[in-house]
This record gives sequence, structure tokens and C-alpha cells, in this order.
Amino acid sequence: MMTADAHIFRLDAVSKRYGATVALDKITLSVERNEYVSLLGPSGSGKTVLLRTIAGFETPDEGRIEVNGRDISSLPAHERGIGFVFQNFALFPHLTVADNIGFGLANRNDPLPKSEIADRVNDIIKLVGLEGLGGRGVGQISGGQKQRVALARTLVTEPKLILLDEPLGALDANLRGRMRNELRAIRERLGVTFLHVTGSETEALAMGDRVIVLDQGHIAQFDHPDHVYSKPATPNVAKFLNRYNVFDGSIAGSAFKTEYGDLAFTQKTKSDRPAYAVRYDRVAVDAEASAGKGPSLPANFIASEYLGSSIMYFFEAVGGKVIEVEHHLSNGAPKIFEPKKSYRLRWKPEDAIVFG
Amino acid sequence: MAVPANTSSKTAWWLIAPGVVWMALFLVIPILMIVYVSFWTQTTFKIEPTLTFASWQQFFASDTYITSLFTTVRIWLIVLIATLVIGYPTALYVGLFVKSKTLSTILLVICVIPFWTSFLIRVLAWRPMLGKEGAINIVLQKFGIISAPIEALLFTELSVIIGMTQIYCVFMVGPIAFMLGRIDPNIIEASRDLGAGFWRIFRKIIFPLSLPGVVVGAIFVSVMVLGEFATASALSGRKVNLLGNIIVTQVGSLKWALASVVGVILTILMGIVVALFLRIVDLRREL
Repeated sequence: MMTADAHIFRLDAVSKRYGATVALDKITLSVERNEYVSLLGPSGSGKTVLLRTIAGFETPDEGRIEVNGRDISSLPAHERGIGFVFQNFALFPHLTVADNIGFGLANRNDPLPKSEIADRVNDIIKLVGLEGLGGRGVGQISGGQKQRVALARTLVTEPKLILLDEPLGALDANLRGRMRNELRAIRERLGVTFLHVTGSETEALAMGDRVIVLDQGHIAQFDHPDHVYSKPATPNVAKFLNRYNVFDGSIAGSAFKTEYGDLAFTQKTKSDRPAYAVRYDRVAVDAEASAGKGPSLPANFIASEYLGSSIMYFFEAVGGKVIEVEHHLSNGAPKIFEPKKSYRLRWKPEDAIVFG
Repeated sequence: MAVPANTSSKTAWWLIAPGVVWMALFLVIPILMIVYVSFWTQTTFKIEPTLTFASWQQFFASDTYITSLFTTVRIWLIVLIATLVIGYPTALYVGLFVKSKTLSTILLVICVIPFWTSFLIRVLAWRPMLGKEGAINIVLQKFGIISAPIEALLFTELSVIIGMTQIYCVFMVGPIAFMLGRIDPNIIEASRDLGAGFWRIFRKIIFPLSLPGVVVGAIFVSVMVLGEFATASALSGRKVNLLGNIIVTQVGSLKWALASVVGVILTILMGIVVALFLRIVDLRREL
């Protein structure tokens, strides 16, 4: 599937600077047709700039952007044929739902005849589940419905690539869960490529066929979600995933030196910064004096948080470093720990991911 | 609401009381007085409260007064269109194209600088600009664009229109720039992304969203131009008589009844104009 035709778009060494800050640092990536790609990064990582550069709202300082094998780097936004869904929806406040959705068809350079616009708007209204709301003003519909209008408005112009800038960020948690499924279902039905920017690691992993992790203007990892989750490529990726305890230190032979003691490991990932990461749910809690195999460190219990299917324990190690331990309730009843009492946290050396 | 209905309605009354008293004393009662006085009997030296239609008949029977009514309407329409044509692009630049809020505030303040001096001086300052030996004629002659000075520049209807357009333009720019400044930039980007070029975005998105500003600006300009008299008397050489000028002359010769008639007609005219503008947009919903 890695032939040139399979790619819907390709970035080649795209850079963007604002004064002294580098927002995008030689980004090179290609995305396949009919794929759901999520783009994860903390705020300030350049993910929105990247999206806006692809859409044509920002001009890159260097590099090429190709869509369908055509160089579109110098085309204005309205000639790129790329859809964009804004975080705040950016609906036209003075138009009805139907007029919002039909806007692109009626106002492009070669507008469609009115009857065809009406037909296509009706079809897409059915597809996104907005039947009966076409005549409403956009101020008279709910947040979830606005989200659908924003999506429908872009889908109706039939772009092959749709960029979504934190599309679920303005919705409440309940609705967010439902819209996730709908976004995936709609995309699969239409066969378009979605590039979905999000700051939420769970959203990125749940939605994407592949996940791009952006770190300070460059791509830290671009892989399938299960790989990103189980084999983060850099210490920062492990940190963004919010599922790993990451320790700083240095590699000394077969151990990793930290201020909490030497920690054993079995495998090493190449990276420009040494770090030792272990997943929250791979850490076991033992009594302080217990002897056992594998890397371990002492820490004081602080508090716990009940999450329904699992429980999170928070421990404090030397120097105030907070270590999180996740206990899945399917593995047995929760244990009770005494606050401020010291315990020994232990894991298997093969569960550790070491960067260096 | 934690406040009992009784207390909150009392509070509301106290809040609006000063406004109500003020408006009653200085707006409602004077207007009623003007309407009343317009039916009084006017003789050469005195006026008495015997009701008559004489002054109303005098107004509508006189060519001078009817002409002045039409002149007022004509000049109002021309100045309204001129302020819109000059003011809208300015507002578009200040409100939409200038990205920095500070810079757009500075530009708006620059528009208001002429108001730092008095109204009369602002009007009279046009004389040395437009006169036969004024700045414009001198410059045009220096560059050889004209051989003889243009005399039509001053003491004509044109000079009145130029003067009024300059003075009232900023009242058009302000409200429009305000509305344009409130447009979410994402909306404009969204319309670009959907394939619309600049003119279509302007026609379908920017202009409709700025319409409340246009209406507010038009109401400001209309009310001020319709009631104008100073610009006309200072720049027209008494050739242009607006309804406002007639009121001034009549009051000057103590003809209170006729002045009241013109006042009532002018008020009705303004009422109609404002009502028509308010039909274009629902300002309460938009602002």
C-alpha cells in the first residue's frame, strides 16, 4: 500500500517560524487515502499551526505540501479543496443550518445550480442526523448539533482530506464519547481521510488508525495506536501518553542510574535523551521491607482515586517525584494503603522502557 | 432569583426613575409644547394661545418652505451615501484588516481628532480649503491640473455636502468598525476553506454581519444631518436653506409658531427615517 497513489497528502520538510520560535521543524510525513490519522501533542507543540499550514491559512517558510500528488504550497486556501472543521465550529451566525451546509456549494468559483445544492444538502443532513433542523438558525441548536453542521458543511463539498482542529473540545464528556463513534462511522461511510488534532491522548489513541505525536514542532512518533501506547519512541511521547512514570537519569552498564537508586532493564530504545519509563499498570506495591526480584524503589503513599474499572494510587518518591500506580479492579479487590507510610514499588525489568 | 419579586420591582423603579424624570422634563414635555405652540396664533409682534391651523397652512402654501424640505431630504440622502461610501472601506480596514487591537484603537482615535476642536471651527476651516484662493485651488493650479480656480467649490451645495460628509463620516465608521471587529476570524477562514473568494465572502458573510453597524451609523448620520443648520449657513453663503436654517431664522424673528411647525415636521421626518432603518435589522437581537 506504500505506492505513490495511496497517498492523499504529503509534507516535505515543512518549516514555520514566528520570530525566534520554531513552530514547525522540517515536518515530513505522508498520509494514506481513506485513513483516520490523529495528531497528538501538548499545547504549544505546533499541532494547530501544522493543520493551518496544510489548510492554507498559514504559509510555510520552507517545504512542499502535496495533495493528490499536486504541489499546493502556493495555492490560496479556497483553491486547495481541503476541508477544515474548527474547534469553535465557526458557523455563519446569520444563516440557517441548511444555508450553512450549502455555503460551499453556492459560493465556490463554479457554484452549483440551486436544485442540486438543495438535494446534496438534504442528503448530507440525513447522513449526519440533522433531519428537520435545516430551517433553524444556528443559534437555536445544541452543541452536538452545531458540531454536526460544521462537519456536514465541509463533507458536502466532497473534499478528499478533512482537517479537524480539536473538533470535540467544545462538547461535554458525554457528547464527546458519542461524537467519537459518529465521526469514525461517517468517515468510513464516505472514505475520506481525516486528520484530527487533539490534546487528549485517549481521544488520539481511540480515534486514529494511526497516531502522529508532535513534540516541539517535530514528529516524535507516527505509528499505529497500540505501538504508540506500548512502545513510545521518546521520553516525551511516554509523558504525553499520561500512562507512564518517567524517571530521569543515565545508563550505567545494565542498570539505569536515578536518584531513587539503580533500576534494572532488559531492552533499550534509541533516543537523544536518557530516561526510564514504566507504565502505571505494570507497577506493583509491596511492603517496604519486602524482598523480591526486579527493579524497585521506596515511596510514600499519598492518596488514591477511584476510576470505576480501575483505581489510581499516588506515591511520592525522594525529591517529591509523584509516581502513579494503576490497579485494574478485574485483577482483584483494591488494596488499602496507609497515607504517609512508606512502601516499595516494584515491576518486572522487561516492563521497563529505557531511552538512551 | 433570590430577591423577592416585590423588592426587585421596587429596585427597578428606583433605577429608571432618574432617567424617566429627566426624559419627561427635557424631552417629552418640550416636544408636546412644540406641537402645542405650532397651533398658536401668531401676529407680527406677539403670539397667543388661540388654536389655529394658520402656521401649518403658511408652511405648506409656501414654495420656499417646501423647497427647503426637499433640499433637506436631498442633502441628507447625498451625505448619507457619501459617508457610507467613504466610511465603509475605512471601517473595513480598521475593524477587520488591522489585526492588532491596539492599532485599530489608535486609528479610530485618529478619526476622532477633528472633534478635539469646536464644531464651528471645524466647519469654518473648510473656507480656506475650498475658497477661490483656497488650498485646493492653489494646489491644483500649481500642478497645472486646472488653469483657472474652480469657483464652485465654496458657497454652493457641494461645499455643504463636502463639509457635512467630513464631519459626520466618523459616526458611520465607528459603529461599522465595531461590528466588523466582532466577527470571529475563524468564520472568514471557514468561508475561504469552503471555496469562497474575497468578494463572495464580503457579500455573503462580512457585509450581512456588519449590517447592524451600518444601520446604527446611518441613524447617527441621518439624525444629525436632518437637524443641521450651521454647516449650511457657514459654507453655502445662505444659498442652501435646510429646515434647520428656517427654524433659526424664524426663531430669530420671534415667529415661534412657524418655527414650531417646522420643528414638528422635522421631528416626524426623523421618526420616519429612524423607523425605516430599524426595519432593516433587529438591533436588539444583533447588539
